[in-house]
Amino acid sequence: MRVEFFSSLYEIAAKDDRVILLVSDTGALVLDKFSQDKPDQFINVGIAEANMVGVAAGLAKSGKIVYIYAIIPFVTMRVFDQIRVDVCCDNLPVKAVGVGAGMDYSTLGPTHHALEDIALMRSLPQMTILSPCDSLSSAAFAQLSYETPGPVYIRLERYTESPVYSNPSEDFTDGLKILRKGGDLCIIATGRMVVTAQKAADELSHRSIDATVIDLYRIKPLNVELLTKAISGLKVVATLEEHSIIGGIGSAVSEVIAESGQAFQFKRLGLPDRFCRQYGTRKYLHTLNNLDASQVTSTILQMLK
Amino acid sequence: MGENIVNLEKKAKWVRNQVLEMCVGAGAGHIAPAYSCTDILVALYQGDILRVNPQNLAWEDRDRFILSKGQGCASLYAVLADMGFFPISELSSYTRLGSRLGGHSESNVPGVEAFTGSLGHGLALGAGMALAAKMDRKDYLAFVLLGDGELQEGSNWESMMFASHHHLDNLIAIVDRNSLQALDFTEQVLTLDPLTKKWEAFGWEVRTADGHSYDSLLSTLGDIRSRQSGKPLAVVALTTKGKGVSFMENSPIWHFRIPVGDELEQARKELA
Repeated sequence: MRVEFFSSLYEIAAKDDRVILLVSDTGALVLDKFSQDKPDQFINVGIAEANMVGVAAGLAKSGKIVYIYAIIPFVTMRVFDQIRVDVCCDNLPVKAVGVGAGMDYSTLGPTHHALEDIALMRSLPQMTILSPCDSLSSAAFAQLSYETPGPVYIRLERYTESPVYSNPSEDFTDGLKILRKGGDLCIIATGRMVVTAQKAADELSHRSIDATVIDLYRIKPLNVELLTKAISGLKVVATLEEHSIIGGIGSAVSEVIAESGQAFQFKRLGLPDRFCRQYGTRKYLHTLNNLDASQVTSTILQMLK
Repeated sequence: MGENIVNLEKKAKWVRNQVLEMCVGAGAGHIAPAYSCTDILVALYQGDILRVNPQNLAWEDRDRFILSKGQGCASLYAVLADMGFFPISELSSYTRLGSRLGGHSESNVPGVEAFTGSLGHGLALGAGMALAAKMDRKDYLAFVLLGDGELQEGSNWESMMFASHHHLDNLIAIVDRNSLQALDFTEQVLTLDPLTKKWEAFGWEVRTADGHSYDSLLSTLGDIRSRQSGKPLAVVALTTKGKGVSFMENSPIWHFRIPVGDELEQARKELA
């Protein structure tokens, strides 16, 4: 997922020398090509993210389109004030690219987990939040973020679990995509959890339960009209995300539901309100937090009882 | 030069008067922090140091000035108005209903380059602007005016390292070294000295100036476009917080206080 994003960004930067990439000592093989071929458009600013965001804003005020890259906590949480004041207040074209959604860095512990980033970025005026679920959407979001005039936060994974999209000319301007339609319930997911939602929907279909699955890839601004329309007539709605259940898409969707004037049975599936001090594989951590596909299926079956 | 300096001193007195009436009218504002940097601002803008044009705000080759100590903005607004960036009559609206003149440096105000007030942001912004000039092979300069207490924010030191590492000799930081911060003297709260040695150690050319002497400020900045050190430049300007009104000078309680009654009359008399 990260590879496809930066490959796409490389092509954009090759055509537009206003595009600058700043990284805070965070690497990836794919970045080597960028730094070698485009040394005038690439700077490793060192382990100094506050300065990175300020420099990005200064460059953006001078006509550049600036991408800043780090592991999610360091490009969102550590620099929240810089993004808020320097970038968002002046609606500057600074694109924060964070890698490591949720517990992608499963062995590195809470310092490197990303449980709160959506909540924080969602609270910022002017901010657009893009959350790809696979390689194709990830590559497309490099282009989409470039075309979006103001600040953008892109929530990346290191790797794709399995492809969700297959059409190279898929249109991602709506903000969400109904991946399958079913009349019994709706699962609204974001990021890699979209794949989990699809697996859960498959398991449910074996029990003759038909689920609608929505990929909520643009978390802000939310397409409220389309979302409301998509869930209209369904009695049961669940959100699914690898993020704290406080402030993420569960909160965003619940706000829409609460103001919709319609009644739903609603549940937020995500990470509980605690730091994860366990280590191991990401799959193991998912299991500890009831985010494995079969556990999601069980939770939804409970809702339907 | 002599006539020019007398003229600048007159302008500074006018600015201090404006600041007083703006803040008194609003019932709020940072008078003493604004007085501390008044002469630096007048020297930069009206002493022909900065290359700016009030008739062409988007001029690509203009120098960029960032008031990182955004709380001193009343002085900046007065200077910008005096230069014609916006009408002088607008100054009286400072922080009032419907005004665009906020209590911290507001980027919606014509001539203001950056939204500041959250301390420790300006130097990085200036470094980004200076870097953009290098990338675009332009010869404009980026100036950042910092409070001395503000240097306690760690982000500044990241930016200092960045600027010297990338040879941003088109970046000029001016430190308003009044030795006071909101509650107390800087050396009582969190020691900044030896301040010039710290900047030097971070790879900057460092100069000191008397921040209330136009002779000193203009001569210190006289060669600003022809320096040869290849380093960013820090000017530590020795100043007095509250400069111009005797009872505000060097007194911590006047950081965010508005004079009333006899105090106000005395301040007006001293600035007359």
